[in-house]
Amino acid sequence: MNAPICPETTTPSPPAVPAFEVEDLCKTYKGGRAPALDHVTLTIPKGMIFGMLGPNGAGKTTLLSILCGLLRPSSGQVRVDGKDVQQEAACIKRVLGVVPQEPAIYPTLTARENLAYFGRMQGLSGDHLAERIRACLETADLADVADEQVCHFSGGFKRRLNLVIGLIHEPKLLILDEPTVAIDPHSRYFIHQRLRELHAAGVTMILSTHILDEAEKLCQDIAIINQGKIVAQGRLEDLLRSQRGNCIEVRLERDPPASLADTLRQLPGILDVLVMGRDIRLTTPVPDEAVAPLVATLSASGVGILSLSFGTASLEQFFLTRTADREAS
Amino acid sequence: MEGLAKLVTSVVKESRIILRDRQALILFFIMPVLFVLILSLALRDAFGDRPGVTFPVLVVDQDGGEVGQAVVSAFAASGHFRVERAGRPAPDQAQLEQAILEDRYKFVVIVPADATTQAKRRVEELAANAPPEMLSAAPVELRLLADPTLRVDYRIMVRAALAGTLQGMEMRLYGRQLEQNLKALGLPAELPHDPNGASIFAGIRDVQLHSGEKYIIPSSVQQNAPAWTLLAMFFLTVPLSVSFIKEREQGSLFRLQTMSVPAWVVLGGKTLPYFIINQIQMASILLVSVYVLPLLGGDRLDIGNAPLALALLGAAASLAAIGFGIAVALFARTAEQATSFSSAVTMIMAALGGILVPLAVMPPVMQHFAMLSPLAWGLNGFLDVFVRGGGLTDVMPEALGLLAFSAACHALAIMRYRSRL
Repeated sequence: MNAPICPETTTPSPPAVPAFEVEDLCKTYKGGRAPALDHVTLTIPKGMIFGMLGPNGAGKTTLLSILCGLLRPSSGQVRVDGKDVQQEAACIKRVLGVVPQEPAIYPTLTARENLAYFGRMQGLSGDHLAERIRACLETADLADVADEQVCHFSGGFKRRLNLVIGLIHEPKLLILDEPTVAIDPHSRYFIHQRLRELHAAGVTMILSTHILDEAEKLCQDIAIINQGKIVAQGRLEDLLRSQRGNCIEVRLERDPPASLADTLRQLPGILDVLVMGRDIRLTTPVPDEAVAPLVATLSASGVGILSLSFGTASLEQFFLTRTADREAS
Repeated sequence: MEGLAKLVTSVVKESRIILRDRQALILFFIMPVLFVLILSLALRDAFGDRPGVTFPVLVVDQDGGEVGQAVVSAFAASGHFRVERAGRPAPDQAQLEQAILEDRYKFVVIVPADATTQAKRRVEELAANAPPEMLSAAPVELRLLADPTLRVDYRIMVRAALAGTLQGMEMRLYGRQLEQNLKALGLPAELPHDPNGASIFAGIRDVQLHSGEKYIIPSSVQQNAPAWTLLAMFFLTVPLSVSFIKEREQGSLFRLQTMSVPAWVVLGGKTLPYFIINQIQMASILLVSVYVLPLLGGDRLDIGNAPLALALLGAAASLAAIGFGIAVALFARTAEQATSFSSAVTMIMAALGGILVPLAVMPPVMQHFAMLSPLAWGLNGFLDVFVRGGGLTDVMPEALGLLAFSAACHALAIMRYRSRL
């Protein structure tokens, strides 16, 4: 079992080569009714934190698993650091770190033993491994509890250890799947700080998260995936800016009839309608022109208007708008 | 070399995890040894056909003549009975029944008073061609009381032995009567009196078959030691598969898949520590059966003269069990599924394979089906060594069968592991 010959270990790929390139990627599971990924195309340049957003079952985990080389795509091209993910998986694994959603650690081993084990599995040994264990314990601020069994750790400590195990081999590319889910604000802040430091050190990260506030704070670019398709992609600021002023939000006095959404979609200038209880969000390129027929229709429906406002600025609102098909279905 | 270093690291990691689970260690090592001790002692009498099993028998000889003596001699000669004669006054029926229920005797034979005299008189009358209504002596009847919990075949065996003794007695009495009658007629009649010197039949020579006969009833410890070794090995598939599934659920297996860790390192890292545990289990069960069981009143296990054959069987059985465990782990969705499936299948394979009920007492159809169970192959291999005095070449078919089963399970497991990528 010889180690694969990976030229990038001596000659780094040029910065112009994207960290991750996905082209027309499709994945359909055996027996699956709909494709889990449907013609996904995505380019993630080096040096950024890229947010991968989407509701549960949207296809995020499938996409991440293909990027890690754990799943074979049905069709399409996937390149990581300029290398084909299927042909050169072993080489990619050497520069790629993965932080799974659940703490992927051995509870009855100590933090140090966990780091040592995964370090050796990454091919580290001797002084280099010892130095990396020390550095990781320091990064996670776990040096004081390094020799305690992990089963006695708090959720936050486990997540920190989970993070640094993914860093043991100093990867240049990092995939993080919900790294701060279900932990206290202090631990979340701690992990955010470490991710910012990694970003400053030039590590490219894909951050899959449900916490939209986290994506807003950390990510430069995002992609929203819904029902296997990329429904929005680009710089976070640009996406939010594009939405600002293109939306009308209405809060009604009472629950609207089920047919209201379809009625509103027929109005001139209305592109999309999202009804969430008494809140209605309408997407329109001409809000000034759309508002009068909207008010007239709502009055005719007898539901009464409690408030009405223009504009969308938060990622949460943007996300909900873009994934509304699923909610509606 | 890097792969080998990763394998060693994985073995060390897995051993640490196992050694930190004290409850599991007790289950791995103490339970099987206790089972062998308890069952070997408890089932001593259930595995009859072997030297050393002796049933206590009480002969209540109210006769005090030839018939009583013949009965005592017949039991003493067989070697399977420890014969005692009841003192005088002879105990009554109630006392005898109590003695059996208190397990002091397995059998009681009552030879009635004047049995010899009555038998002789009946022979005289029959030899004189007396009509039935003129016969004054009734046939002599012996009574047999037996432990009601004893197997029926033992009872039949004792009855047959007694009947044989009485028939011999009858022949001798007729012979003597014939001699007397001939003498009375003035004819020379010297029948041989020494039964040993003038036997017509030379008795029955019990020919023990070794290699030719497949199933020989083993002794209790000969059956239980290998049976529980194999069952313990196969039951280790439960913690093995659960540990594998836990690793999958905790995500550490997923993490390993994102690293350059070959499947054989991941599987080997799990396999080797459990292989070592299996070998320790076997060694401890054999040691206890050889050295501890006799101290508790049980029979000592004779482990034969083929340590290499035993080592080969132990290794092959362990690899078969581990292969099964790994395959279950990779096909099961949850730890609960793996636990119930592997323990249920192990019990079925054990029942089928002669672990719970010896192969030798199974009907031929079941013996045929038993060969579907890898545990039967293992058990047969051990019995080759313990009972049939076999060596390395004798256990080779069973060992190769187990190794093939292991290879098939491992191949399935590796295919499944890779197909998940």
